[in-house]
Amino acid sequence: MNRALFHTTLRSNWVLLVIIFAIMMMYLSIIISMYEPDNMEAVTAMLDAMPQQVVQAMGFAGLISDLTSFLASYYYSFIVFLFPMIYVIIAANRMIAKHVDSGSMAYLLATPHSRLTIASTQGLYLLLSTALLMVSVLVAGLLFSSAMFPGELDVGAFLRLNISALLIFLALSGICFFFSCMVDDSRHAVALSGGIAGLFFVFNMLVNVGDQMQWLRYLSLFSLLDAQQLMAGWGFLVRSGLLLFGITFVTYGAGLAVFNRRSLTL
Amino acid sequence: MKHISYIFQNLEVDTLIRVERLTKTYRSGKGIFDIDFDVSEGEVFGYLGPNGAGKTTTIRQLMGFTNADHGRCTIRGLDTRREAKDIQRHVGYVPGEIAFLEDMTGLGFLTLLSQMRGMKRAPRMDELVDRFELEVGERIRRMSKGMKQKVAIIAGFMHDPTVYILDEPTSGLDPLMQTTFIELILEEKRRGKTILMSSHNFAEIDRTCHRAAIIREGRLAVVEDIAKLKQAQRKVFVVSVAADADLTVLRDSGLELGSITNHQVEVVIGADYDQFAAALARCSVVGLDMVPQSLEDVFMHYYGKGGDPA
Repeated sequence: MNRALFHTTLRSNWVLLVIIFAIMMMYLSIIISMYEPDNMEAVTAMLDAMPQQVVQAMGFAGLISDLTSFLASYYYSFIVFLFPMIYVIIAANRMIAKHVDSGSMAYLLATPHSRLTIASTQGLYLLLSTALLMVSVLVAGLLFSSAMFPGELDVGAFLRLNISALLIFLALSGICFFFSCMVDDSRHAVALSGGIAGLFFVFNMLVNVGDQMQWLRYLSLFSLLDAQQLMAGWGFLVRSGLLLFGITFVTYGAGLAVFNRRSLTL
Repeated sequence: MKHISYIFQNLEVDTLIRVERLTKTYRSGKGIFDIDFDVSEGEVFGYLGPNGAGKTTTIRQLMGFTNADHGRCTIRGLDTRREAKDIQRHVGYVPGEIAFLEDMTGLGFLTLLSQMRGMKRAPRMDELVDRFELEVGERIRRMSKGMKQKVAIIAGFMHDPTVYILDEPTSGLDPLMQTTFIELILEEKRRGKTILMSSHNFAEIDRTCHRAAIIREGRLAVVEDIAKLKQAQRKVFVVSVAADADLTVLRDSGLELGSITNHQVEVVIGADYDQFAAALARCSVVGLDMVPQSLEDVFMHYYGKGGDPA
């Protein structure tokens, strides 16, 4: 880890993080404000007007009576995947592949630091910024809820939803980082990362739609954000968390190892 | 252990950069094959060749960016691929392709590299910025090619390294800045620095280097003292003469002639300047031009495909 490089990476990438966070905040505030504890008919009516397959694909469940499950089905089934996914794909590409593709990596490697130091600095930024994004969403959710509907939120369940989302995106960031370390051409990094994340996203939607697609659940990291199981207690989070933690560890490690060994076209 | 490696390095003090039977092929079939040369401490070594001959491929290996198919490179006895980190402390590098962190200013970029070398501000940064008249506040994205090349040069020289690895360092510079750069190289030469510099321009290497290697199609054609290369260099003059009789004089002079059109004769000169001058003295000369030569033209005649002097 090199401080000067970390600082520079932060300076040229914080805007992306802020934009993604702002979009997520916009949706979060809109969705929370749509919650009406006494009368959920407006939302139900809106959903009835839409094709049922679409409603199911987005993970929106039927009639909901409390704020936590309302957020779980309207925010933590769709929005929470889409935007962090975009962030992770773009940011991971910028960390390594873009420097290799453009040739600016040559200057970084011409300084007296090992490839591992350079790449782990970049990886650390990706990991920390992804974590920051997800933690910010958690904090904002707590603040919005307590401002608009004090006492309505089941904080424990909401916390589990967010920790699960955080761990899912740390794992996805690792997968994208690995691709970023592996390829010569930055477009390939985007294509591979986007392809995998896109598949996770689509598989998760298919799982929501029909019973016969349940097996796809095991092919998508996003399916680990299982609202029912997470709201029930900590058990599922601990089990899925270990898996996600393992994926994060292995993918970042593999990315560093590949980058350290490969021939770079600089 | 440190002590032993110190002794070991001192034994090798003479050879600073060593390229041993280096082979690196690309999928296209291009690459470099069996490249072998040494650069001694304090030597300025030119690495000449036309574009695409393999100069950059060799230099990438010296910087530890690529994995060789066979052979190895060492700098101060350290393997350039595996021990790059320790080597880079002493090396100044100017890449052949210009690419930076585009959204930074020149100053921001140079400061970053200084800091990554553990310095707040590299010792020669301000001096070099003045010397090359770089506007450091400009964003790199908006700089012209020449400006970017200046940034690259300053980045390679500002930490006052002992070894320089320069990949076509003058490309993109205007003639005035090329001269400024060559003066800088001559200064570093006097200070005893070791320099490996690639170029496709013989004149530039001629002015700065002790020795040079010529690479063609991935193979070393020759490694030779500059003085010897100069002897082998051929120049083409176009002589315009007044009358047909003068043409006869030139034909009988024993000089090597190229094409003859009207009263213009191409004369190819190697080391026979005296003979050339004597022949000219016997004609009535109305014009004399030197034809600019590519590197290929200059050396092809002497160092053909096989690499042996013709």
